[in-house]
Amino acid sequence: MNALAEKLRRLRADAGVATRENAPAIIAPVSAARIASARTDLSALSVLRELARARQARHPESPIPNPGSLRPVPLAAPAGDEIAPGVRYVEQSFPYPADPVLALPVESHEPVARERLLCFDTETTGLAGGVGTRAFMIGVAAWADGRLRVRQLYLTAMAGEAAMLRIFAGWLRTDSILVSYNGKSYDAPLLKGRFRLNRVQHRLDDLPHLDWLHPVRRRYRGVFANCRLATIEREALRIVREDDLPGSEAPAAWLAFLRGQSSRNLGRVLDHNRQDVVTLMRLGDHMAGLLPDQRV
Amino acid sequence: MSLHLDPSVRHVTSVEHVVSRWARKYPDRITGYFRKEARPARWAEFPAGLSPGLRTALEARGIRQLYSHQREAFDHATAGCHVVVVTPTASGKTLCYNLPVIEAVRGSQAKALYLFPTKALAQDQVAELLALSRAGELALRAFTFDGDTPADARQAIRVKGDIVVSNPDMLHQAILPHHTKWAQFFESLRYVVVDEVHSYRGVFGSHVANVIRRLKRVCAFYGVTPTFILCSATIGNPKEHAEALLGEPVHAITESGAPSGERHVLLWNPPVVNPDLGIRASARSQSMRLARQTIRARLKTIVFAQSRLMVEVLTKYLKDVFDHDPRKPERIRAYRGGYLPTERRQTERALRSGSIDGVVSTSALELGVDIGALDVAILNGFPGSIAATWQRLGRAGRRQQPALGVMVATSSPLDQYIVRHPEFFDAAPPEQARIAPDQLLILLDHIRCAAFELPFASGDRFGENLVDDFLAVLAESGVLHQEGTRWDWIADSYPAGAVSLRSVADGNFVVVDRSDGRQAIIAEVDYSSAALTLYEGAIYMVQSRPWQVEKLDWDGRKAFVTTTRADYYTDAIDYTKLKVLDRFDGHIAGQGTCHHGEVHVVRRVSGYKKIRFYSHENIGYGPVNLPDQELHTTALWWQLDQATLDAAFASRQDALDGFLGAAYALHTVAQVRVMAEGRDLQKAVGSGDAAWFATRDANGRGQWRDGEGGAADPDSAGFNPTLYLYDNFPGGIGLSEPLFRMAPVLLREALELVQGCDCNGGCPACIGPVIGEEDAVRSSQSELAAHVLALLGA
Repeated sequence: MNALAEKLRRLRADAGVATRENAPAIIAPVSAARIASARTDLSALSVLRELARARQARHPESPIPNPGSLRPVPLAAPAGDEIAPGVRYVEQSFPYPADPVLALPVESHEPVARERLLCFDTETTGLAGGVGTRAFMIGVAAWADGRLRVRQLYLTAMAGEAAMLRIFAGWLRTDSILVSYNGKSYDAPLLKGRFRLNRVQHRLDDLPHLDWLHPVRRRYRGVFANCRLATIEREALRIVREDDLPGSEAPAAWLAFLRGQSSRNLGRVLDHNRQDVVTLMRLGDHMAGLLPDQRV
Repeated sequence: MSLHLDPSVRHVTSVEHVVSRWARKYPDRITGYFRKEARPARWAEFPAGLSPGLRTALEARGIRQLYSHQREAFDHATAGCHVVVVTPTASGKTLCYNLPVIEAVRGSQAKALYLFPTKALAQDQVAELLALSRAGELALRAFTFDGDTPADARQAIRVKGDIVVSNPDMLHQAILPHHTKWAQFFESLRYVVVDEVHSYRGVFGSHVANVIRRLKRVCAFYGVTPTFILCSATIGNPKEHAEALLGEPVHAITESGAPSGERHVLLWNPPVVNPDLGIRASARSQSMRLARQTIRARLKTIVFAQSRLMVEVLTKYLKDVFDHDPRKPERIRAYRGGYLPTERRQTERALRSGSIDGVVSTSALELGVDIGALDVAILNGFPGSIAATWQRLGRAGRRQQPALGVMVATSSPLDQYIVRHPEFFDAAPPEQARIAPDQLLILLDHIRCAAFELPFASGDRFGENLVDDFLAVLAESGVLHQEGTRWDWIADSYPAGAVSLRSVADGNFVVVDRSDGRQAIIAEVDYSSAALTLYEGAIYMVQSRPWQVEKLDWDGRKAFVTTTRADYYTDAIDYTKLKVLDRFDGHIAGQGTCHHGEVHVVRRVSGYKKIRFYSHENIGYGPVNLPDQELHTTALWWQLDQATLDAAFASRQDALDGFLGAAYALHTVAQVRVMAEGRDLQKAVGSGDAAWFATRDANGRGQWRDGEGGAADPDSAGFNPTLYLYDNFPGGIGLSEPLFRMAPVLLREALELVQGCDCNGGCPACIGPVIGEEDAVRSSQSELAAHVLALLGA
């Protein structure tokens, strides 16, 4: 044990050299077995720590560093009720007087019942793609009896994911029409992956899916600076958001909450996501209301 | 003369005729000759339960029974036993896996994943599967999945592919990190085929073993435990190597039932052109001479070159001879990576149909690409292992006619060693493929990737390793989130994208030619040798054409060069200091000791010498200012104490020269034993405590250096020379430990190498070049090295 302690002292000293600018990383040649045998000695961790640091210096992954302790104090969630362990539910409803039937470029352009539209949007842990990216928030807007009801789910613990997905799957009716903005190539495949990973049954594959991105692009390309939802919303729908948290900051906001650092921005993510799904319904009316020759 | 013959008539001079003519004319160039007798086939019946469709397909292709090894593989694989098939080139090994796979695909809608080290092999395999499928109307859906697969085809392949043919890099970077998209495929995955496993060794192999751990982890998630069918060229430890890659017991099938025609193999050493310096004629000129003769004799010939550039050079030389008339059909073609797939397919077809007479290729044609039968294989240089040599030689061979293979040695030490030891080609292969899957850096990389793919739980194992400490460290760096015993990926990053299976982590340097406004990449140099070869002012040679390094961008990993007409080359003055940190094991070696353990290596390039070609005069120095290269790694080392040495040698200079020569010879034989790339295993001579170390001067004589690289006095400090062989990879890559265990063999072989060399006291083939000394001094250099080896118990 003495020899090991000595070795670790030396390796730590080396590591100081390694972090000097431009110096090559020094990597300790400690076999995994030796580390395992030294488990009781906390300093064995420091060897691995230096390894990880050296690795990261060479391959910056820009993860959000975790300055806090490993076991954060749970923060109060910014909104909603816990409807399953690790899952919170937020519901709001707004008056939305509108024609219960809507002509949409879906199912051979026959008018469809507005009630069938299920506008959805997710907030995810990032854009890197692959199995390591997950949705931590799902928002859904649906119309009934002159009101627009927005339901949102979000995770307060990783362990809540399967429950959140099950609840969302339950919102999908057999006659639902999915409505999204770029959801066909982003949100839906991502959710399917999460369903698969959590072994949750769902009917995403069976439902018609109206993705506004392409119709909007066809209509507005060259008209506005770009076809991002925020742009279309501002220019075509005249919606102005106040204190909107850019979508790109959503992952950090949720992570700060999860790690017990701050819950402030998570409230703003909820607002942002809510506005997104409301806009999806407004966009339907806007697109349907365009003159026939402007139709998509 | 033969040019006037009707080209449709094959007018063949027999292989025997060529061999006997060469044996008469060049007896001193042929250092080894083997004649392998033709071997009849050993047959086995089709398995009793073989489906009628597959039987029809096989019969349509003229296959009415199986070779014994094919049947053995089928029986074991269908029983769920992992197998490794070790058979020579062209022994029908693809049926070893295609039979069980096709039966499972057709009988129970099972899926199979095939992994090949290169894209070309994958494409071939799919073509072969589809041909078999057509022959028996089997309706197999086999697809390649690699970097060239268009995005819109990928979804269809994931869902519809019965057999997906890919490579380890794609598995690592594209399939496993997206495994939910492959869920249907994984849920039915019955077989994983890994071909050419001998090529998965060293750093690459250690990575691949971890990719297989991740694959098995994902399979477990989908509730499947696929059977692995591995194939390997002939190496010394196929079963052990397969088990190291897989982490499970594997049944080895080593007896081929395939017939083989008679084969002649020659080891060819170019003639000495400068006996004083031990300089030989170039391998290139010899290979060209041999190829010209065989092609003139209407023998279909393949020439293997070591680099893409050399392929072009040799092709040009052959085309100048055979394709100078543009009205006549082409007789010579080149084949290498970097060509478009369509062009390669065209060359393969031309080879199969026999419409061309010669092809020059890199290792791209060494592996199983179907090019039909050729008569002659000429290897321009030793490919680095006996296994690869046999694979390349195996490219020539017909059932009915004898084939000829020639290995032409270059002047490199390894080539010279091999060409003088024909017994390596006769006996069992000496090489052992080695991997170190638990190498900490590599392990940490793959646990990171695995955590991205599926959450870990505390107490989980990855291979044999408990993951908890790794997870804690990853959590601290912000990529994992811990909740109770569960650890989830949390970062917005794609870890597999940052891990390359084929290179060490630091990244290669590219050499950019800026002559005349060009911006062409002419070479890649790995990180560990960049400091030695790409310092500003260095003459960098590609196939003996000189460029000069004008600017080195260390952080950007680029060296900018321009062509030069310099009449000198440059040699880095580098100092390697080693310090022993820890001894793992040791034993008495003759009058000294041999140990295995951990060392700290510091390498500094302080300057360079300019050395004139041919005369080898030292015509100047230049400074180099580069960061020190530091490394903690594993090594084995030999030591003799001061008293023993002072008693055994007339002077400490003699003893030091002996150590340097012995190190050179030991390094050469060790490389052969562990199938190491030269850069993966390094040598050094110094004290055991980094107080001093030894370098060779321009003439090959030993010099003392103190810890800062200045001249040191041999008689002042303690004299405790130590001879190191070390893994040139942070943390070690598993080479020095097996070398330690075979240390007595290494000493014996090194001594044989030194004593058996017919040079005049030191050449690149034995103890390294010793020049510019009087004959009396020079001739003693080999003896000094032999003396050190003998004192160590050789």
